[in-house]
Amino acid sequence: MLEISDLHVAYGHAQVIHGLNLVLRPGEMVFIVGRNGAGKTTLLKTIAGLIQPAKGEIRFEGRAVAGEPPERLARAGFRFVAQDKKVFSNLSVRANIALAAHGSGTPIEEAWSKAIQLYPKLEEFRALPAGRLSGGQREILLIGRALVGAPRLLLIDEPTEGLAAIVIEDIFRILNGMRHTLSFIIVEQNLSVVTRLADRIYVMKEGQIIREIADRSEIADTAQLETYL
Amino acid sequence: MIQTIVYGFTIGAILYFFSIGLALTFGTMHIINFAHGMVYALGVYLFISFLKALGNSFLLSLAASVIVMLPVAYIVERFVIRRLYGESLDYAIIATYGVLLIGTDLIKLVWGTTPYPVNDPIGLAVPLAGLDLPFYRILIVISAVLLFLALRLFFKRSIIGQIVIAALEDSDGVRCLGLDVNRYFSIIFVLGSALAVLGGILYAPISTAEPYMGFHILLLAFAVVIVGGMGNINGTFAAAMVLGMVMAVTGRIWSQAATTMVFVVMALVLIFRPMESD
Ligand SMILES: Nc1ncnc2c1ncn2[C@@H]1O[C@H](COP(=O)(O)OP(=O)(O)O)[C@@H](O)[C@H]1O
Ligand SMILES: [Mg+2]
Repeated sequence: MLEISDLHVAYGHAQVIHGLNLVLRPGEMVFIVGRNGAGKTTLLKTIAGLIQPAKGEIRFEGRAVAGEPPERLARAGFRFVAQDKKVFSNLSVRANIALAAHGSGTPIEEAWSKAIQLYPKLEEFRALPAGRLSGGQREILLIGRALVGAPRLLLIDEPTEGLAAIVIEDIFRILNGMRHTLSFIIVEQNLSVVTRLADRIYVMKEGQIIREIADRSEIADTAQLETYL
Repeated sequence: MIQTIVYGFTIGAILYFFSIGLALTFGTMHIINFAHGMVYALGVYLFISFLKALGNSFLLSLAASVIVMLPVAYIVERFVIRRLYGESLDYAIIATYGVLLIGTDLIKLVWGTTPYPVNDPIGLAVPLAGLDLPFYRILIVISAVLLFLALRLFFKRSIIGQIVIAALEDSDGVRCLGLDVNRYFSIIFVLGSALAVLGGILYAPISTAEPYMGFHILLLAFAVVIVGGMGNINGTFAAAMVLGMVMAVTGRIWSQAATTMVFVVMALVLIFRPMESD
């Protein structure tokens, strides 16, 4: 469903992604692992349309989408959950969902009940400014926000970063519950999450994919994966 | 003393009318918009011409000038401001400063350089504590408070307002939900411009229209925006009122220092405000 070929991305003169290739099949949950500074966030932002690639192709269901603005890609079903867990902190939890509903032309009630289904506790926080949520709750709200409408491709950047073990399990359950309903590219450093969820893994280093891991036993080999982090 | 307080709030009210658009443009689009001064001055000059054409009807002329300035503001947004998104601050300053200069020269060309006085449309005075307070000034203050409340409601209750609040914080996040932020920024820009024109016209009867009026209020408004927290909606109101009062009080003691004092306060705020943290 998504094909990236020979992608080059630069910030000014500093090139960060050098000729990257990647394929995502429908319903797949693909993980990207790699050290800090490898260019994982840059890659997701580029796919989401937030950064213009310098060169290369991004095809979504056969259509060339590189360089399209994020709002247009969002309407095509792209969803991006950023690494910083930045919700609209001055808006209520419900208004965060309401904005997503407005953006995707979904009735607010429908969007809200979907969010509640995902994480029933949100109902309690409905009127609370979203900035008052804990890190884990914010991440869940962001994922809930991304699910509003008709998402096709979820790009999630380090969903468990900085979270406590219990909350990581909440996130794991949520992601696990969505497997095969959508296509995912998830950047993640927590290998326990990666090995339990990944259909495939791409290892990224210095702006390139240096390995693709599709074999089940290799996906489960955390000791080997560890060497890439 | 009461007179000084009323004067302070009047100046604060006008500063608020003008600054709110500037603050929102800075907060959402990260653009320092000198063209705001052009819209303000041109609006007031149009108003003066409308007064003549419409038999001195204050309200009609006010409405007519605001309506005429809406498309002007839209054109500035669409063809100047929108091309500056994501560019460096300096480009925006240079380009919008250019618009301000063009507007100022246009005013000189059409209306000349002599200042125009405008009559107080009400002319009533309210007796209070042995003083006669001009009712018109009190009305200005009341309209600023009403505007503040209306904007609060707008930003709290309307979906457009909520989108703008969200975009002030994370415009990428808004775009990734499928919302075209530029559209909302345009609306906010035109709204802010209309409010500046409104402020300028309300101010005209207690000041005089002159071609450089846009420059003068811009400098003060920058101080308001900075003290108010660069796009903070409630902060802009508070800062406008406080700095208006600073001007009125200083002006009473030493009139030449009134404007300088505003910048002294701004500098103090910049020095002592705790750095924003996430
Ligand atoms: N906005 C930016 N401007 C310039 N360089 C950046 C910017 N964002 C990231 N970089 C650089 O790009 C490289 C890749 O960063 P990033 O994509 O965030 O990596 P990762 O998510 O894998 O840690 C790093 O060297 C980083 O310093
Ligand atoms: Mg990153």
